[in-house]
Amino acid sequence: MSASETAGERTVRHAFGNVLAFFILLLIGVLAFSIRLFSVIKYESVIHEFDPYFNYRVTQFLTKNGIYDFWNWFDDRTWYPLGRVIGGTVYPGLTLTAGTLWWVLNSLNIPLSVETVCVFTAPTFSAFASWATYFLTKEVKGPGAGLAAAALLGMVPSYISRSVAGSYDNEAVAIFALIFTFYLYIKTLNTGSLFYATFNAISYFYMVCSWGGYTFIINLIPMHVLLCIVTGRYSSRLYIAYAPLVVLGTLLAALVPVVGFNAVMTSEHFASFLVFIIIHVVALVYYIKGILSPRMFKVAVTLVLSVGIAVCCAVIAILIAVVASSPTKGWSGRSLSLLDPTYASKYIPIIASVSEHQPPTWPSYFMDINVLAFLVPAGIIACFLPLSDASSFVVLYIVTSVYFSGVMVRLMLVLAPAACIMSGIALSEAFDTLTGSIKFQLLGYSSVNSQAAAGDASPDSTSAQSNALKPDKSEETAKERTSKKSKKKEKEREKEKEQVDQSSVQPRAGRRLQVLPLEASIIGVFLLILLGAFYVVHCVWAAAEAYSAPSIVLTSQTQDGGLHVFDDFREAYAWLRHNTEVDDKVASWWDYGYQTTAMANRTVIVDNNTWNNTHIATVGTAMSSPEKAAWEIFNSLDVKYVLVVFGGLVGYPSDDINKFLWMVRIGGGVFPHIKEPDYLRDGQYRIDSQATPTMLNSLMYKLSYYRFVETDGKGFDRVRRTEIGKKYFKLTHFDEVFTTHHWMVRIYKLRPPKNRIRGKAKKSKSKTSSASTSKRTAKIKKNPWQ
Amino acid sequence: MARSPLILVALISLIPLLCHSFSPETPTGRRILVLVDDLAVKSSQSLYFKSLSSRGYELDFKLADDPKIALQRYGQYLYDGLVLFCPTVERFGGSIDQAAILDFVDSGHDLIIAADVQSSDLIREIATECGADFDEDPAAMVIDHINYAVSENEGDHTVIASDNLIKSDVILGSSKIEAPVLFQGIGHSLNPANSLVFKVLSASPATYSANPKSKLSSPPALTGSAISLVSVMQARNNARILISGSLSMFSNRFFRSGVQKAQSSTKHEKSGNEQFLTEISKWVFHERGHLKAVNVKHHKVGEEDEPAVYRIKDDLEYSVEIYEWSGSSWEPYVADDVQVQFYMMSPYVLKTLTSDKKGVYSTSFKVPDVYGVFQFKVEYEKLGYTTLSLSKQIPVRPFKHNEYERFIPAAYPYYGAAFSMMVGFFLFSFVHLYSK
Amino acid sequence: MARSTGEDAQALFHSLRSAYAATPKNLKIIDLYVAFAVFTALIQVAYMAMVGSFPFNSFLSGILSCTGTAVLAVCLRIQVNKENKEFKDLPPERAYADFVLCNLVLHLVIMNFLG
Repeated sequence: MSASETAGERTVRHAFGNVLAFFILLLIGVLAFSIRLFSVIKYESVIHEFDPYFNYRVTQFLTKNGIYDFWNWFDDRTWYPLGRVIGGTVYPGLTLTAGTLWWVLNSLNIPLSVETVCVFTAPTFSAFASWATYFLTKEVKGPGAGLAAAALLGMVPSYISRSVAGSYDNEAVAIFALIFTFYLYIKTLNTGSLFYATFNAISYFYMVCSWGGYTFIINLIPMHVLLCIVTGRYSSRLYIAYAPLVVLGTLLAALVPVVGFNAVMTSEHFASFLVFIIIHVVALVYYIKGILSPRMFKVAVTLVLSVGIAVCCAVIAILIAVVASSPTKGWSGRSLSLLDPTYASKYIPIIASVSEHQPPTWPSYFMDINVLAFLVPAGIIACFLPLSDASSFVVLYIVTSVYFSGVMVRLMLVLAPAACIMSGIALSEAFDTLTGSIKFQLLGYSSVNSQAAAGDASPDSTSAQSNALKPDKSEETAKERTSKKSKKKEKEREKEKEQVDQSSVQPRAGRRLQVLPLEASIIGVFLLILLGAFYVVHCVWAAAEAYSAPSIVLTSQTQDGGLHVFDDFREAYAWLRHNTEVDDKVASWWDYGYQTTAMANRTVIVDNNTWNNTHIATVGTAMSSPEKAAWEIFNSLDVKYVLVVFGGLVGYPSDDINKFLWMVRIGGGVFPHIKEPDYLRDGQYRIDSQATPTMLNSLMYKLSYYRFVETDGKGFDRVRRTEIGKKYFKLTHFDEVFTTHHWMVRIYKLRPPKNRIRGKAKKSKSKTSSASTSKRTAKIKKNPWQ
Repeated sequence: MARSPLILVALISLIPLLCHSFSPETPTGRRILVLVDDLAVKSSQSLYFKSLSSRGYELDFKLADDPKIALQRYGQYLYDGLVLFCPTVERFGGSIDQAAILDFVDSGHDLIIAADVQSSDLIREIATECGADFDEDPAAMVIDHINYAVSENEGDHTVIASDNLIKSDVILGSSKIEAPVLFQGIGHSLNPANSLVFKVLSASPATYSANPKSKLSSPPALTGSAISLVSVMQARNNARILISGSLSMFSNRFFRSGVQKAQSSTKHEKSGNEQFLTEISKWVFHERGHLKAVNVKHHKVGEEDEPAVYRIKDDLEYSVEIYEWSGSSWEPYVADDVQVQFYMMSPYVLKTLTSDKKGVYSTSFKVPDVYGVFQFKVEYEKLGYTTLSLSKQIPVRPFKHNEYERFIPAAYPYYGAAFSMMVGFFLFSFVHLYSK
Repeated sequence: MARSTGEDAQALFHSLRSAYAATPKNLKIIDLYVAFAVFTALIQVAYMAMVGSFPFNSFLSGILSCTGTAVLAVCLRIQVNKENKEFKDLPPERAYADFVLCNLVLHLVIMNFLG
C-alpha cells in the first residue's frame, strides 16, 4: 500500500540522508584542515608567534624524556635564577596530545618530526571541532542545523586566527574540548543517561588539562542549571546531567597540577558548588512534593521556611565573611579583570599590557565573525520556538560569550562557536521555511495527504529536514570549490528532490501554516546563498592574508613586485646559539623569552609566562635606568648579553622602543624611583630632540640607537617618523656584539668591571697624552658585523 | 748602557727564559725592567737593587728615554715587572708610553713607581690611573715640623721620619719594623671610595704638602693623615702596584743612616727603610699573599660524584683547596675565615670552611627549602691577599611527585573512607542485582 | 501557635513516614546506601575539624568519594524508579551498567588522588 511504500522509501531516504551527511561532514573536516594551511604554503612549516615556541620546547622535552620526567621537570634555563617548575605550571593537555600523536605515528613507522606534528596539530583539531559542533547543534535543533553550524565553524576567521598551521597554542585543542564537553552535557540533558554524564566529566577533564578558560565551562553550566530551575524546567535529567559532573569534574580538575586545590578554593569554582547545593535542595523538594499530599506539603513548606531561613542566613554570612577576607575576594587577577574591565589597568599593569587583553573594537567583530553577526539574533529567536533545555543553554552561551568578548579580544575565540551554532540554527530554520514554502506552493499538497503521513511524521521530519537542506548544504560546501557554475544547478536539483521527498511538507503545513509567496521564497533562498558566498570569500581572504603571518618571519613587497623577507629574529637566535657559551644568560624584554630559550637555547631572565612581576619589574627598571645603574642590576643577575628589538630602520612597529613605556610602568610599579612622567615631555612620549634627559640617558634608548646615525647620516627613525634626539654617543658599560641585517635585533655584551679604579684628578691635555690617545683610537675594535 | 749588541744579547737570552716568566703556576716572575732618569740612580740605589737581585730577579737597567726600550715584542711581554725610578721623564722612549704601561698592568704584571719633587705630568698621570692623586703643585714637598728627622743641619723639615705603617703581616712581613722610615718627597691622597688602593706608609696628622721655598699663600690642599707617603694598589686581576712619593727613600744614604724623630729621644742606628722596602717589594712581586684556589668539589653526603642537580633538603658537602705561593713553591694556606655562600640573589647559607691544615677547606650543610638556580660562591678578600672569587652554578629542584611520604598517618581515616566506599559499592551491587 | 506548629510537625512526620513506607524495597536499599555514604562524609568532616586539613588531597578525595557515591546512587535511584515517566523506556540493566561505569571512573580517580 501507500503506507508501506512510503515506509520503504523512507528508509531509503533515511539511509541516503545519513550517507550524505557523513560525506558532507568529511568534506567539512577537510575544508577546516586545508583552509588553515595558507601559512605553510606562503611561508614555511614553522611555529608562529611566542607562546607556541614554549609549547614546542616542552613537547620536545616530552618526546625525548618521557612523561615521567616531563611531569617533574624543573626548568633551570628560564626565569634565572628562580627557575620554573614546568610540571606544575603548564597546562599539559596540548603537549600530551601532540606527544601522543607523535608517538602513535612513530610507532606506525610514519617518521614525522616533532615540529611537523606540532605545526599540524591545530588544523587537525579544528576539523574535530567542526564535527563536535555538528553533534552539538544536532542535539539542539537537528542535523540540518548541525551541518550548517559545522560548515560555518570550519571557516570562521576568529577560530582560524588561533589555529592556523603553526599556531601551536592551547586554544587549538581547547576549543575542540569546549565544544565536545558542551555536546556531551546537552546529550546527557536530553537523554538522562549516566553513560554520557561520565564521558562529560572526562571531556571536562580534558578541557581542564588544556586551557585556563575551563572556568568558563564550570560557570556556564551551573548558570544554565540555575536558569532551568528558575524557569521551572527542573527535571531529573537535569540532576543526572549536573550532579555527577560537579563531583567527578572537581576531582578530575584537582588532579591537574596547575589547578590543584584551586579547584575547591578559588571563587571561580564556587558557583558550581552553590548550584550543587541548590539543585539538591530542589530535588529534595520535588521528591517530598511527590510523596506527600498537597496539604501536608504546605505544612512542610511553612515549617522548613521558618527554621531553615535562619540557618541559611547564618551559613551565607559566614561564607561571605570568609570570601571577603581575601583582598581579591578569592578571584585570580585575570578573572577579576574579566568581571571588571578596568581592574587590570589600575592594579596589574602586566595584564593590561598584553595586547590580547585589550577590549576589541567594533570592526574586529565584523572581521572575526563576519556575516554571523547578523545571523546570531535570528538564531536566538529561532531558539525560542520552541524553547528546550538545550536551546536555552545555547542562548545563555551566546549571551555570556558576547559579554566576555567585549572585555578581551582574546575571548572572541569563545564567541566563535556560539555564533556559528546560532547562525547554523538561523540558517537552517530560514532555509526550512523558505524551501517548505516553495514546495508547498509548487506542489500544493492538500491536508488529506497530511493525515496519512502524520503518524510517521516525527521520525521523518528529521530526515526530511536534512534532505531538504542537504542539497543546499552541498551546494554551499561546493561553493568554494567551484565558482559560480553551481548556482545555476541548484534550482534544478531542488526541483528533483521535491519529487522524491513527498511527506516533508506535511509536518510543516500541519504545525504552522507559514507559507510565503513563491517568488519571495526563491529570492530569499538565493539571497541567503549569496550571504553564505560572501562569508566564504571573506573567510578565505582572512585566512590567507590576515591570520597566516608567522610573526617570526616578516615579508614586504619590493618595488618590482617581489617579496623581501625579514628573517632577523632567527638570525639573532642562531648567532646567540653559535657564538655564546651554553651557560650564558641573556636579558631581554619578556616577549622574546620563549623564543630565546627554544631557538637560541640560552638561559633567559624573564619570559612570556609573566608569573613573577617583581622579576619583570627588575628587568624593566634596568632598561629604564642610565647605563651604570643598568649594568649593576644586570650584573647582580649574572647577565652576560642584552637583547633589544629595534624597528626604526625598516619600520617594524612592534619594537622595544614602542613597548618602552610599559617597561617604565611595570618597573615603576615595584621600584618607585622610576617615574613615568620623567620620560614624557608634556605628557607625550618622544625620542627626538625634545625628549627628556632621563629618556635620552636610559639604557633602552642607548642600546636601540647606538650608531644608528651611521645608517643614513641623520638618524631618521621610520617608526616614530622623526630624527632621534641624541645621535652621537658612546657606550661606557656595554659592547655591541651583533646587529642583524636589518638592524631589527641588536645584541650587547656587558663589559667586565674595570681592572683599576682611577683617582679623582682630572686628565691633563698635554702633548704626551695626545700622542697616546691617537694610539688608543687606533686600537678601538670595530664591530665586525657592520 | 744603550748599546745595541748588548740589548740584542739581552733580548735573545731572555727568550729561553719565557718558560720561567710570570704565569699562574709560578706567580713570581723574574725579569724586571728598571727605567731610570739617570744612570747614577743605579749606583745610588744599589742596596735596594741588590736586595732584589739577591732574591733571583734579573734587573734590566735602561734610561727612560732610550729609544730602544720595549715592554713587549710580537705580542709577548719581555718583562714580568716594571720599576719606574724616573720621576722627571716627560716622554718615554721606544714603544713605551702611558697606555703601554697601563696595559702591562692590566695584563697582570707588577709595577713600582717612585715620584719625587718636580715629577712630570706623565708620572702623575700614571699614578692617577692607579688611584693615587699627587699634589698638583709640582714643587710641593711634604713638610712636617713635628715628626721630621733630626739631622746635623737645620733643614727645612722635608725629611720626615714616619712610623705610621699599615698593620699587615702579609705586606710588611712578620717581624716588626722598629725604626721609623725616612721619607723626603711629595705626598698623594687616595679616594676613600676606591676599594683597591690602600696606604702603606701614611703621614702624621701634622704633615702638610707645600713648596718649602716659598711662603704659603693659601692653606695647603693636602694635610694631615689624609696624605699618603707610600701606597699600594691591588688591581682586580691581582696585579700589584707600589706608588711612592720619594725616590730618595730607596737610596743607600737613607738605608744606611740612623734616624731620630724630632720629638723623641730614641735614636735608631739604622732607619727602617731597608727592611720596609725589602718586605714590601716581596709583597709587590707576589712572594707573599698570593693565593690560588683549585679543585672545587661538591657532592651529596655519601656519594662521590658531582650531581648535575640537587633536590631541596639534600645534605651536601663542599670542599676547595687553597694554596699560597711562598716565593718558590705552593704551600697550603691556613686560615679560619674562608666562607662559602649558597647564593641565589642573596645568600641562603653562609658557612665558614674548616681547614685541615693541608690546604683543603671543607664544610657540609643542608640545601635550603627553596628551589632555583643556586651558586656556590667563595668571595675571599683579605687585606694584602689576592682576591679569590669562585662561583659554581647548580640548580636545585623541588620534590618529584613520588618523593613525598607514601602513607601519611594523619590521613588514615580518609583512606579508610575511600576504601569503605569501594567495599560498599561492591556489596550494594550484589544486593541490588540479586534482590527481587 | 507553637502547639499548632508542633501538631503540624507531628502530622507531617506521620505522613512522611507512611508515604516513605510505600516505596519499593530496592529503592529503600539504595536509600540506605546513600545514607551510609553521607554518614561517612560527615564523619570525615568532623575529623577534619578536629585535626586540621593537613593532607588536603586525601581529605578532598575522601569527601568527594563519599559525595560521588551518594550522587551516583541517587542517579541510579532516579533511573530505576518505576514512577519516573521519563525513564520508562530505560531497561534497568542499562541503568545499572552506566552506574557501574561511572563508579569505576570515580574510584579510579579517587585512588589516584588519595596519595
